[in-house]
This record gives sequence, structure tokens and C-alpha cells, in this order.
Amino acid sequence: MALDQLSEVVQKCQSLPEDGYSTEDYDVFTVAGRACVEEGNSLQLLSIVLDEKNQDIVQCMGWNLLPPLIQVLLKKDDQNLPHCLAIFKHLIEVCRPKELLIGLLEQLEQDDPESVAQSLLLLLGPLQKVLLSLGVRKSSSLGLALSSVLDQVCKLPLPMTPEQEQDDVFSLCRCCSELQAFIRPFVEEARDQHSAEGRDPGTLVMGDLERALPQKEDELRTELLKFCMQVLSRLLLGVQLKDQETLPESPLRDFASSILLSLGSIGEPLPALVHQPLLRHRRTPGFLEEEVRYPKESLACVAHLLFVHLLQPDMFPAVYSPVYSLRANMVHVSLLLSRAEQSRIQKGLELYEKSLLRVEDLSLGVDLLELRSFLSVPQNLVKVMTICPHQNLRTKGLKVFQLSMDKFNTEAKYKFFQLMLKTSHHSGVQGYIIKNIRTQVDSALKSGDSDPWFLGVYLLPLLRCVLRLPEGPETDLLQNMDRIMESLNLLRYLVIRDKVTENQTGIWAEMYKIEDRFLKPLRVGINMSRAHYERELLLTREGRKSKAKEPSVSVSVGDEKLPQMTTDTELQALHSALHTFDMMESVLVRVEELIEVKEEE
Amino acid sequence: MAAEPTREWSDEKLKSDDLPKKDIIKFLQDNAAQSFLNELKLQGNIKNVAKTAKKEQLIDAYNQLFENKKFKGTDPVAEVTEQVRTTKIEEKPKEVKAEVVDEGPPKFTKSVLKKGDKTNFPKKGETVSCWYTGTLEDGTVFDTNVPVGARKKKQTKPLSFKAGLGRVIRGWDEAILTMSKGEQARVEIEPEWAYGRKGVPDSKIPPNAKLIFEIELVAVD
Repeated sequence: MALDQLSEVVQKCQSLPEDGYSTEDYDVFTVAGRACVEEGNSLQLLSIVLDEKNQDIVQCMGWNLLPPLIQVLLKKDDQNLPHCLAIFKHLIEVCRPKELLIGLLEQLEQDDPESVAQSLLLLLGPLQKVLLSLGVRKSSSLGLALSSVLDQVCKLPLPMTPEQEQDDVFSLCRCCSELQAFIRPFVEEARDQHSAEGRDPGTLVMGDLERALPQKEDELRTELLKFCMQVLSRLLLGVQLKDQETLPESPLRDFASSILLSLGSIGEPLPALVHQPLLRHRRTPGFLEEEVRYPKESLACVAHLLFVHLLQPDMFPAVYSPVYSLRANMVHVSLLLSRAEQSRIQKGLELYEKSLLRVEDLSLGVDLLELRSFLSVPQNLVKVMTICPHQNLRTKGLKVFQLSMDKFNTEAKYKFFQLMLKTSHHSGVQGYIIKNIRTQVDSALKSGDSDPWFLGVYLLPLLRCVLRLPEGPETDLLQNMDRIMESLNLLRYLVIRDKVTENQTGIWAEMYKIEDRFLKPLRVGINMSRAHYERELLLTREGRKSKAKEPSVSVSVGDEKLPQMTTDTELQALHSALHTFDMMESVLVRVEELIEVKEEE
Repeated sequence: MAAEPTREWSDEKLKSDDLPKKDIIKFLQDNAAQSFLNELKLQGNIKNVAKTAKKEQLIDAYNQLFENKKFKGTDPVAEVTEQVRTTKIEEKPKEVKAEVVDEGPPKFTKSVLKKGDKTNFPKKGETVSCWYTGTLEDGTVFDTNVPVGARKKKQTKPLSFKAGLGRVIRGWDEAILTMSKGEQARVEIEPEWAYGRKGVPDSKIPPNAKLIFEIELVAVD
């Protein structure tokens, strides 16, 4: 039936000029043609399509046959495949590119990963062919195609382990390789255009600054740039690339490298991208504002690929000063650490670590702390260390935190410790800073040189921040345990190490204040807290509490309410609290003893 | 404090032809304070100073030196200003006085391979563009932007950056400021002004590496 209808309409149209086809003709062709494919009459359809006399018709209407044809090709229906393939190829050759483009892009859209991959692998080749045939007007169509393709690729699950990457069950790696081949001719075209733009070598520059500002908007470059930026932020930022030792052959790594290469080819030098946060640019002419043109996440991804994965080392000149690169990377790190996704945080930590390892210890000066990113990074890092749900990231965060402090010179360390003590109210973090202060004082006392920052006059204000109880005797000792213990340890160290007669650290002149502000209230606090908890313990043991009233507080995680603590657990917690007080008290007593002994000397 | 230098030469002796300029310059460089020398542009290579300074100027300087007594060791010691102004602390510590430290000789050497125009020298903050090749002492090339072969020539571009702002390794910053447009030079940089004790991890540049660059300055801003 369908075949007859098709033959009829085709015959009718043979005698008509192209613009003489009616809407009805189009519709009949489309419906009948599609039915032929679906019904399995592909051989006959093929002969109609190939027929010399029908070429005008096919050119105008043929593209409507794409949907069923592509379905057949995707299903890999053995019987009809060869004929459908032949029809498909012929249509790609003769039909109008713009219409083919629409047809192909429509068919690209799939929902389940398997179909997504299959349609990409099938259609990228024909898409490329169609786009190339558009000649100089291809840019916006290319942009449209790239956007659709990337949307589809992003639907595919990312491999996490080297094994998963090798198995490539969802074909992501294969699709990326195909994508790499897909854009190659367009990148080459943009590159050749770019260098042929008749400027003498003296004005074409690479590096930080000029990104070959074109006099007029270069659309092809713009579309390719947009694509590369999108790939970086939407795809590569989420992938964990494996190094050459772990995975010698990695299509994902090759793909990432090819993106960097492409950026270079289209006139976007990598140093300019990495250093962009530090440079003030003139507005590039064109329809995209700078921030849209260079999304911050994409730039951060470039920095990560260069500095952590060491891709394309030849594309980054080995002349930049490590501090300059650190300054630029701090901005990227700040962004990455402020995200919630594990992959972003991980990359932020890695980039930070690698950048820090390039600078010598004690080489970073206090003026760097005036830069916004040098404050925002530690703040974001503290959040990672304290509230990130992934333990490996918390641990790594702490390691990088210590590394960052080691790179500051003593003056900068001093200022940094002050800032952290002021801005962070987390007891653990403060405790860690106080431990660092102790290390610095120790270092200053041992080295005997005139470095003033952790002795005497400068040290005292810092100690005043540390050796105090924020809320006097009512301070919650359990919550502030880390900080208080480190403060006690610091004081104990100072008392032992610094002779009263020398008073290098300045504490002996201040001792009465320290006793008033810290030691005495702490004593009172410990006694009060201990009394309170001992009473709680007694009540709980006697079982009075649990019968007395319904708990007024409940805790839920996710949607589940946690069960009430059992009596045993409660007892354990109370014992643990009391133990903490004992510990605190023993150090406190020891410190008081030492002070007495020393003062009597 | 050393004793004041004695005034050896009388006015007549100074004006006479048998006292060469460079002797006067040497005396001044040996005995005058840094600030004095800088003000009168008497610092640097004696030959160069002799070329630029007239005898009368040198005689004047000699006289001035003894009048104002701006001998070596009389410059005021620089004070260190308070550093923690942005963070409030309970009591402000007293100011710490520090002395200006002499850093020592420059940690790079330059030999000119091709002279530049000797007019266009980059100033701090100006953009410069260079072709360069970097090698290690053993000859390994670790970086270059010089196009290889005619085919790729169109695609490679000179490196550009703002000079004197610490964006590149110190050896580069310092060397480039001494070059003029068109100059091609071989610059050898000690590790302290290159990548120091760390080198560049995971790259061809090892720790404590002396770097040798051939640099051609093609453009200045």
C-alpha cells in the first residue's frame, strides 16, 4: 500500500518543477516513505530514491525519511540494514544540509544511555559531513550541533575506576574519541583562518596577554571556544583522569589533551586562560561577554589539567614565576573548593597542593594575604576539613592546609594565624592553629636569630587571643576541648622552655593576667562541669531520668529519625565527658605547678 | 664608624689632565653614600660612568661630597612600618627597626649575540614579546617557542608578558630590562633567580638548576 502511494506521488512530482510540489505532495511522500521503511520495503525504496528521474524530489523531501531510517540503523535490523544504510548515505549526499541537520539532531536526542551512545556513534560522522558542506555559513549550525551533541554525551555515566574506564560499558570513552575526531576539521579551519589573517609576526603574540583580538567577530572560533569551555566545565570537571602509570591507554586523557590543543589552535593560549583572573582584559568584540566567554569553572579545569595531570606541557612556557602561577591558581582553587561536588573539591585540593609544592618553604610574604583569594581559600578549606561528608577529602584538606602554612614566611604566618583565630570558631581548627603557633615559637627560640614575630612584643597579642576562655567559667569545655587542650599545651611548653629571667616570649610579665583570664576560670569551669556531669551520671544510673519525661529533642538524618540513645550509650557519653575533664585538669594542674616552681626560682 | 676620608686632590689637581675621570669616579664610588651616588648618577661600571659624566660634573661632585659629608655609612637606617594594621589587636606592639639588606650581585649574566636598537628599552610594566629557547647546563632543551620548520611558522607566536612585575622568573625580569628592541642575547640564570631549590616538579627542570636562555626581544609595548 505504502509503496504504491509513494510511487504515485513520486511519479506525479516528476513532471512538476521543484517549487510546484504541493504541501499534500510533501505529506504523502513523508508518510508513505516512512511506512515503506517501517514495513520493510527498503529495497524498493532504495531504487526509487536512487532513480535519476527522482533526484529533485529526493533532494527536497528526502530528509523526512531520516527518522525511520535511523531507527533501523540503530536497531541493527540485519535484513533491512544494508538497504537502509544505502538510502541514508544517499540522502546525506543529496539533500539540503540545513534540513539534514535538523533531521539528524532530532534523532540524536535519546533518553537511555545505550541509545544515547548508539545514536552518537552512528550520527557524528554524517553530521560532520553535513556541516562541512555548509561552507562559510557553518558557524551557527556548528554551534547548534555541538550543543546538542554535548547534551547527549553528558547523559552518559562517567567511569570512576581504571577498570570501568577500560571496560567503557556505557561507551563514554568511545563517544569522546569520536567527538575528538568530529571537531578536528573545524578546529583546523579556524586555526588556518586565524593564522592567515595577514598580520605580521610582530603583532601576533602568545602568552598572557593578546588573545589575537580579531577586528571583527570570528564566529567559528567563538563557537569552538564555547564548545571547549562547555566540555571542560560540564564533562571533564566531573571525570577523574588516571595517570599514565595507572592506565597507559586512556581515551579520556587523550580527549582532554585534544581540548587543550584545540584551544591553542583557535588562538586561546593556555597561559592566558590560566592567568586570566589576574589580568585585566579589554573587552573582546563580539556577542559574548568575558565572563560568559570564559566560564570560571572551565578555566579552573584547564589549570587542573595542566598543573595536576601535566597534560600538554609544551603549551605552557616554563618561564612564569611559581608565585605568579600560585596567585592565579588560588582563584581557581577558591572556586573549586566552594562547590559541593566531591569531584570539584578533590580537584581544588589537588590543584592547591601542586601549586604549593612549586614554591619554596617560607617564601610567601605577608602582602599576599591582602589578596582576596588568599583569604577565601583557607576559609573554604576549613569548611572542607570540618563539614565535608567525605573523610578522604577532610584528611587531604588538613594535609594541604598544613602545607599552605609552611610556605608562608614568619611574618605572613603570624598574620595568618591571627586571621584564622578571628574568623574560625571551630575548636578543632583553632586547636590546630595553636599547635602551629607552638611550633613557630619553638623554632624562633631555637634559631636564635632576630626574627621577631613569635617572640616577645609580637607574640603577646597572639597569646592573648589564645590563652583565654571566651565565655569565662561558663564556656562549654567539651565543645572547646581541642582548643583548650592545645592552649594548655602551648602554655606548658612556654613555661618549661622560657626562663623567667630571660622572658623571651614575654609570658612571665603577663602571667598574672594569664592566670586571671585563663587558668582560674578554667579551674572553676572544670569543677562546675564535672559536678554537673557527675549528677547526670547518678541520675541516669538510677534510671530516674528515662522514666521521668519524654525526650524533648529528636535527631534525624536524611528522613530517618535516629533512635533515642540507650541508657548504656548515655552512660558511655557521660563517662567520656568526665574523662575529658580529668585530662584537662591534669594538664592544668601540671601547668600551675610548673609556674609555681619557675616563679620561685 | 670609619674615619672621614681625606681630601687628597686640590682644585688645580682636579682640573688637570693627568687626573683621569675614572680615578675620580673610583674615589667617589668607594667613599660616597649610596644615596649620593644614585642622585648624581655615579653608580655602575666605571667605564660607563666615565662616558656619560663630564669632568666638570665629577669635580663638582667631589667638592659636594666633602661639603655635605655624604660619606658611606651616613644613610639613615630604614624603618619597618607596622605590618598588622588591618587586624585589630589589643595593644599595638612597638615598631621593629630593620636594616636594609644588601642582596649581593645579580644572579644572571648576559652576553649579547646580536645588538638591539639601543633605544627602545622596556620599562617596568610594559609589555614585551620574545622568542626564546631554554636549555639546562647539560644542553637539554626544556622549552622553546621558536618555530621549527617553515610550515609551522605561521602558527607560533612570540611570548608576551608585562616586564618587571614578577610574573616571570626573576632572571628573566631583570635581563629583559637591560635589553633593547631587536636584541638577541644569551642569558645564564642562577637557580636563585630561576626555579631555585624546588626546580619545577614533574618537569625537565631539576632542583638547583642553572638555566640558559637565548632570548630575542622582538617588541616593546
